[in-house]
This record gives sequence, C-alpha cells and structure tokens, in this order.
Amino acid sequence: MNRTVLYLALAGIAVVLQTVFLPVLLQGYYKPDLLLILVIYLGLHEKPLRGGLLVYLIGWCCDGVAGVFPGLNGFVLIGIFMVVRGIVARINTESSSLLLLLVVAGTVLQSVLVAFALDFFSQTARIWPQIVWQLPVQVLLNLTAAFVLLRLVVWLQRTFMPRRDLPGLRKLDRRYEP
Amino acid sequence: MLGSVLLLVALLWYSVNLRQQDETNFLESLLLRVTGPTQAGFDRVIVGAADIWGHYLYLVDTAEDNRQLTEENRTLRAVLTQSDEVRLENERLRLLLDFKETQEIDTLPARVIAEDASSWFRTVTIDKGSVQGVVEGMSVVAAEGVVGRVVRSRPRFARVLLLTDASSAVASLLQDNRARGVCRGKGEYLVFDFVLRQEEVTVGDRVVTSGMGGIFPKGLVVGNVKSVDRQEFGLFQVIEVAPTVDFSHLEEVLVMLRGPQ
Repeated sequence: MNRTVLYLALAGIAVVLQTVFLPVLLQGYYKPDLLLILVIYLGLHEKPLRGGLLVYLIGWCCDGVAGVFPGLNGFVLIGIFMVVRGIVARINTESSSLLLLLVVAGTVLQSVLVAFALDFFSQTARIWPQIVWQLPVQVLLNLTAAFVLLRLVVWLQRTFMPRRDLPGLRKLDRRYEP
Repeated sequence: MLGSVLLLVALLWYSVNLRQQDETNFLESLLLRVTGPTQAGFDRVIVGAADIWGHYLYLVDTAEDNRQLTEENRTLRAVLTQSDEVRLENERLRLLLDFKETQEIDTLPARVIAEDASSWFRTVTIDKGSVQGVVEGMSVVAAEGVVGRVVRSRPRFARVLLLTDASSAVASLLQDNRARGVCRGKGEYLVFDFVLRQEEVTVGDRVVTSGMGGIFPKGLVVGNVKSVDRQEFGLFQVIEVAPTVDFSHLEEVLVMLRGPQ
C-alpha cells in the first residue's frame, strides 16, 4: 500500500514537472516523459496485476493533462508495461544500462502505440509523420532524463537510506557492483 | 650691534641677488641637490605608506562597503528584472486589450498555467473555467491571432486544444483571393488543405478564419503561407502555413464567450 502511494506521488510529481516546470526550462514543445520512465521501472519491479492496475490508473490520470483522447494514455502505458513484463524474466533487471536501453525502446514503442491508436482509431489527421519527426529528440530527452534520475536516486539512497534495499538499486549503486 | 650687522648683511645679500633672480645661484643649487633626493625619498615613503593604508589596512571598511554595494547591486538587478517583466507583461496586455476592443463578441482574459504533459500533443491549461462561463467549443485567441478552442472545461480551469495539434482543424481562407480550405495542425506549423491547384497562392499570403464550422468567428488571423507546392497531379496544392501566434511563449489569451454556433 505504501509503495502504491509512493508511486502515485511520483507520478503526480512527474506530471507537475512535465506540465509546469520543464516547459519553462526547455522553452518549446519537447519535454522528457518522466511517466514513461516510471512505467518502465514498474514493469521491471512490480507484479503484473498490481503494477498493471497502477499503470492503468496513472495512464487514466495522464489523460487529464496530455492530449484530448480519453483512454489513450492508459492504453499506451499499459502496452509498454506489458511488453516490459513480457521480457523481464530474460533480462538482468538491476542493470542501469539496461534501464537506459529500455527507456529508448519504450519511447519508440510509445510513439508506435500513439500513432497506431490515433491513425487507426480516431478521425484526426495523420499524426505519425509528426511523431517520426519528433522521435529522435524525444528519445534523447528521455534518455538524458533517465540517466539524471538514476544518478539522483542512487545519490538519495546513499545519502538518506544507506541500509535500505530499494528494488533495482542494488546494482545501480557502484558499491554493490563486482 | 651684531644683530644690526647681520640684518644689514642680509639686506645687502638680498639686494645683490635681486639682480640675478632669474638665475640659480650656488647656494640654491646646493640646497636643491641636497633636499631634492631627500624630499623624493620621503615622498616615496609617504606615498607607500598611504598606499598600504588605503589599499590594505583601510580595506576592512572597503570590504564591508563592497559587500553592501554588491548586495545593493543584486537587489537593484532583481528590481530591474521584475520591472522589465512587468513592462513586457504590460505591453502584451495592452496588445490584448486593443484586440479585445476590436471584437464584437464578449471576451474573457485568461492566463496560461500549464502545458501538455506529452510532447506529442499541443494543449494548454488556462486559469478560467465553467464558473467564469467558459464551456467546451469556445474559441481562444491572442492579439496575434487564433490560439485554439476549449476542449475540456472544469469549474476553475479549462484545457485548450492549440491550433498546431494534429487533431485541430480550422475552416480558413486566404485573405487576398478568398480561396477556401482547412488549416490542420502539424505540431509546429499548419497545412492548408483543400486549396484547388488553379488558385494563385504565394508565400507570405495571410490566412484567416472563414467563419465556417461555427467555432471561430470570421476574419481572425491564422497565419502566413510559408511554402506552396503545386504538384503535377492531384486536385489540391500542398500549402504550409506558419501560425502568427508564438505557441511556445503563450502566456495570456482571450476566450471568446460564445459557444459554437
């Protein structure tokens, strides 16, 4: 329960950062997708039912602040979560490099799912050319944000919770690496 | 007696020297040779001492003065920046007010408080909602032209779909030759669809709302033609339009308080 509240609080912080603070800093349409990073993290470390429900709830909340298509973000985020869950047994979930790689793959998958959902199911103009055009910058932004967040989380753990065992952070912290 | 002699000698010496007052005599020369270097030496010592006092010992106060001045400078800079911000906001609001006065429809000024959470979509949140009479479908404009339309309305806030969003479409026409079409969002620019090949369109032509569709009143500026591609085949031209509104720096807007017709 506590973890669920923590994840929802993190999602809330991500939304505030993406809608209010980052647009001021980055001056433009592009902003890193912090919710995507959170969903990938949930995919790596949470059980399918609990994580899936949580991700769908986050997606549903995200619809209130992103785009004008109710249910779109829920569909896209749950799709990413399911794919990550599908491969989680075959990968080392505690490698920071892998998390970065998953963020890149997740960004591409997200854009494919958005384009699929809008171009096949809605009456809007085709969005995929715009998504393809924006994708390289978006990948770069998400990758940078994931890298900074990893560093920040490891530093926070070292500073404030040196003995706590956070999922996924055992090997992200260099002290635990062989 | 001796005193009188000395006084007389002195007077004589003085009166004799009056004739050669433009020349340096032996005694004066000797005095200068002796006193000059001495004075120079003392002068250097005094200047040095004053320098040490002024630049090192007296710096206790100077450091404090410096700190105060730096602090004052910082405060003044902050005030200046704030003043600039107020001036710029004033200019923007003045433009908006001028525009508001030219409109026949009642308008409600609103402030943009947040942007879309995703990079794929173009929406903003404004600080006015259904309590102030803002409902879905109302058009939103700025002094420079069309901004978008209200798509979600809550009691105190509303979300506006920007003109540049892929799902946004505005019935428009070219101001000069009245060729009709539909402006669709493409993220950072617009495309002007359904303009027939035979229509004469040049770069820089102004595109305005046509009033068709009932969302936007007629004659609002949408943008300027950025490029024209009259392809070999097909019924229509491919026209790109640069919006006149700078959507990346949108701060204040006007909601036109009339629902879709």
